[in-house]
Amino acid sequence: MNIIDYLEKNSKEFPEKNAIIFEDDKISYNELYHRVQNFSLPVIKKQEVISLIAENSISFITTYLGIIRIGKIVHVAAPNILENDLLNQLKSANSSLIICSEKVFNNISKYSKIKTPILKFSELKTVANIEKGTRKENKISHLIYTSGTTAEPKGVGITHQMIEFTTKNIIDVLKYSSSDVNILPLPLNHSFGLGCFHVSITVGSTVILHKDASNLQNLLKSIINNNATTIAAIPATLTKFLKLEGVNLDSYFLNIRLVITNSTAIPKNTIQSFREILKKGNLATYYGLTEASRSTFMIFQEDLSRDNSVGKSAPEVNIKIENNHNSIGEILVKGKNVISSYWNNEMLDVNFIDGWLRTGDLGYLDKNGFLFLKGRKDDMINVGGEKIIPFEIEVIVKQLSGIEDVAAFGIENEIFGQVIKLHVVKSIESDIDKSKILIHCMKNLEKFKIPSKIDFVESIPKTSYGKVKRFMLK
Amino acid sequence: MYSDKDLKDEIIKIFFEVFQNMNEVDFSWEKEQKEYENWDSFSQLNLITLTEAKFNITLSLDESIEIKSANELCECVKIHLT
Repeated sequence: MNIIDYLEKNSKEFPEKNAIIFEDDKISYNELYHRVQNFSLPVIKKQEVISLIAENSISFITTYLGIIRIGKIVHVAAPNILENDLLNQLKSANSSLIICSEKVFNNISKYSKIKTPILKFSELKTVANIEKGTRKENKISHLIYTSGTTAEPKGVGITHQMIEFTTKNIIDVLKYSSSDVNILPLPLNHSFGLGCFHVSITVGSTVILHKDASNLQNLLKSIINNNATTIAAIPATLTKFLKLEGVNLDSYFLNIRLVITNSTAIPKNTIQSFREILKKGNLATYYGLTEASRSTFMIFQEDLSRDNSVGKSAPEVNIKIENNHNSIGEILVKGKNVISSYWNNEMLDVNFIDGWLRTGDLGYLDKNGFLFLKGRKDDMINVGGEKIIPFEIEVIVKQLSGIEDVAAFGIENEIFGQVIKLHVVKSIESDIDKSKILIHCMKNLEKFKIPSKIDFVESIPKTSYGKVKRFMLK
Repeated sequence: MYSDKDLKDEIIKIFFEVFQNMNEVDFSWEKEQKEYENWDSFSQLNLITLTEAKFNITLSLDESIEIKSANELCECVKIHLT
């Protein structure tokens, strides 16, 4: 069954139940199914891929499902995408049409290099020569370009089979059911947000969709007003919740049974605090890439001694560490959640070996099969032949008070090939200086791991999911 | 500005930070790199890095390579501070 089958099933089982609530708007399962059924597109020759670029909204969802229902592939892109990135993605995807929100239209219509036709949501029903949306099946459901932490975006075509497999794992491990009410402030153009949405449609629960997670008070009100049972948020949002002054989080999270976050490093204090806040619930995380969604799961209440772990392999997913036993190496993943090739890019086939995807992530498995992440292979620093993972240095520097954030990376050096440079963000009141940081490193790190350059900076460039964009550091 | 004594005290501190297991009796101003048990290229790099950070100076590549004793490091720093 694909996502449209589940929508149809739940439109019969829960016709009047709210499928989505978004700001002052809401839509029942029955109405959502009928809007998706009636979704139509202008006829464009050879159309296979349609680009959808919009902020979270009910229109995003009906368009996303509508395109899938008529057998086209949805290419989803971030609403703030820059002109060259969009141009590259449209070219690679061979997209024949862009459907977007009013706000996105105001931006991308100024992009002079974009020649692909653009339609606003409001124009969908008014264009001439409309193709009536008969149901068709395409092997691939949607296409996402990973922007993540590397410079070159890669097209990832997600099949219906991958969605069904991954969604079933999420439901089984995290025990989603039709009685859930899910707060979703994550962008739907990303694998994390889209995965949560698929789960809700599959089980027949309700999504309380938010534009984003910037208004924390609004999210807290939303939990209470909607009797929410789950919330999905990135670790930074959870940490910001803890910093809200004069707010008793216990009362807001009293009926929350699940807080799901993703695998960006979660501060230990955030994990411990949420363990205490969630009286009846669990804090969980997962490890995955767009290419291999939800490969592990970790429920922190079930294991009090592995707060740094991203958990064990998901059901029927295999994980191994390449060429390394009991030590750090590249993480390889195999399973029905893993793509078999990248979109229109044979050069990237080197990332697959006998069905195993080389993730480019570094980590290790403990003797009980728990996975621990240690950074990106591309980020490894080579100082005179000694290999160093930036995380090892960052975690030591963060022990110092007065350090808000830090990123370690390699810079060219005439003698050693590379040496380590740090970008450090000091907290406002901090008077910490470079020598204090160096001395702390010398006390706690091997001598080849000591930074050679330190710059104090205003901020560290990061993705919207909190991962350091190391390729931007110099 | 550093007095001669303050400067020397800072250099000694740098040596003890870089060579964490060194005893006080093992330090001397004239003792050369080859006489140290673990003064390798990484220690050299760390000596230079910490010196640059403490005195807010930048040593050239040639200066960095040529320093072979605490005395030579001290003299090099003096030149940069004057």
